[in-house]
Amino acid sequence: MDVGRHPNINLLAYSEVEKVEGQAGDFRVTVRKKPRYVDESKCTGCGACAEKCPTVTSDEYNLGLGKAKAIYKYFAQGIPSAYTIDATICRNFQPGKKCGICQKVCQAGAIDYKQEAKIFELSVGAIIAATGYDLFDARRIPEYGYGRIRNVITALEFERFLSASGPTHGHVYRVTDLAAQEALPEMEKVCQKAVKGLERYEKQFSMTSDEFYGRYESGEFKGGNEEYDKWAAAVVAARKATAELEVLQKKVESIESAHRLAFIQCVGSRDIRFNKYCSGFCCMHAIKEAIIAREHDRDAQVYIFGMDIRAVGKGFEEYRNRGAKEAGVHYIRSRVAEITEGKNHTPIIWYEDTKERVVRQMPVDLVILSTACQPSASTRRVAELLGIELNEFGFYKTASYPPLDTTRPGIFICGCAHSPMDIPESVAQASSAAARAAQVLAGSGTMRLAS
Amino acid sequence: MNRDVLVIGGGIAGIQASLDLAEMGIKVHLVERLPSIGGRMAQLDKTFPTNDCAL
Ligand SMILES: Cc1cc2nc3c(=O)[nH]c(=O)nc-3n(C[C@H](O)[C@H](O)[C@H](O)COP(=O)(O)OP(=O)(O)OC[C@H]3O[C@@H](n4cnc5c(N)ncnc54)[C@H](O)[C@@H]3O)c2cc1C
Ligand code: SF4
Ligand code: SF4
Repeated sequence: MDVGRHPNINLLAYSEVEKVEGQAGDFRVTVRKKPRYVDESKCTGCGACAEKCPTVTSDEYNLGLGKAKAIYKYFAQGIPSAYTIDATICRNFQPGKKCGICQKVCQAGAIDYKQEAKIFELSVGAIIAATGYDLFDARRIPEYGYGRIRNVITALEFERFLSASGPTHGHVYRVTDLAAQEALPEMEKVCQKAVKGLERYEKQFSMTSDEFYGRYESGEFKGGNEEYDKWAAAVVAARKATAELEVLQKKVESIESAHRLAFIQCVGSRDIRFNKYCSGFCCMHAIKEAIIAREHDRDAQVYIFGMDIRAVGKGFEEYRNRGAKEAGVHYIRSRVAEITEGKNHTPIIWYEDTKERVVRQMPVDLVILSTACQPSASTRRVAELLGIELNEFGFYKTASYPPLDTTRPGIFICGCAHSPMDIPESVAQASSAAARAAQVLAGSGTMRLAS
Repeated sequence: MNRDVLVIGGGIAGIQASLDLAEMGIKVHLVERLPSIGGRMAQLDKTFPTNDCAL
């Protein structure tokens, strides 16, 4: 992607539009560029700063599944490649605290804790709003257990699981098993420390802890030296930590990849309680994720629970059949009523099989929710700034012809800001919106919205 | 008549619109809220219907 380097593109990342005035052919726009506290023109993206940064947080790009630092790069191949300091957690920005480590480490002298927001005034002839979408918050359907049952995740989270650059390097595990794996090094440390703590006493009294404790138990050291009681307590603690570590180690050793995977479709879509519309791309991404999961693990068994599978794009029906043939996907026509948690964190799906009209249950390793595509959070604010209207679902309003014109001349939209759609369709719309904008600049594009 | 275009949002749609305009010789200002462009597509592993890598 050469967007970052194209001579005709002025890339304003980490920025937001603040004000828009004027009309088609002559808009005046105010943009505010937020401070990154890193000089974009100096930063080489080497990552030395993040390596040394002491402030650890969860990784937003990986949906909280991995770890990130207070100075971070949103994702590895990000454009621009410059790092950004999250001032809400960076120690240098907390009252009464100091750090400055990244500034010391940076060879390029790119760190600038005093960087301020920059305001740009732009004059443009046309505007394209491509503000995209957000995903439905699955917590709004409490009976599916997302956020409560840990082995219930979203399709976007699963996407990160499948990625070689993701937190599990492409391996699929149950979330609870991952948590156990992650806890192991910490537990090992705790245990080592507890055992090490005994050495002092062993030296002092020239006795092994086991021998001492046996005699202590039989009452030999009662009422004497306070140190003996402390030593005894330390022995108990060390034994407890060792036992816990063993349990955890056994658990981690026995961890297998998650083989039984179940996708639940239309979570928040085609549902009168939330969004009445179909989100269009989720049937296809469920099939895609099923195929990839099966490529990574020949033993994967995949079930897709849904009312029907919507495969209406070019080559989609073939893709669906490929899912069934190559990945052995079982499509189950059903309505899922509830997901409960069984023994050992196993999610159990309770559903009505709408073909056979019976209620059934199925235990699986991981449940993956295909959550709905909704207007992105800032859509309403952007609409207000631009003086354009929204439709009944909260997406920008357009007419059926010309389909990418908003309610204000000179302002166009494309992609999921228009309505849910996949990448090929977003790209086609983008080219179309670009053409409409170019027509405005050529003085012919202000054709009114057909009402 | 102003010769520039403002594109709000640097997902695949905003990127494609910007590239098309830039290739036509039009100056584009691409405003992205996050530190990097790419949008949701940057979070995807591979994409249907071809299963090519997203980035
Ligand atoms: C799990 C999952 C898997 C998918 N897999 C596929 C697939 O395999 N193939 C496929 O074709 N499609 C797939 N899709 C659909 C795909 O994600 C969308 O079609 C595509 O991302 C739409 O691009 P967009 O640019 O319209 O929106 P987005 O990707 O949402 O980009 C919008 C951009 O605008 C920015 N923005 C938002 N508001 C503002 C603002 N106020 N100011 C400045 N910037 C702003 C955002 O930060 C973002 O960068 C998948 C979707 C999901 C959820
Ligand atoms: S800020 Fe400095 S140390 Fe950090 S990535 Fe950029 S050049 Fe490297
Ligand atoms: S694409 Fe499939 S899963 Fe998504 S809302 Fe439509 S029918 Fe439901």
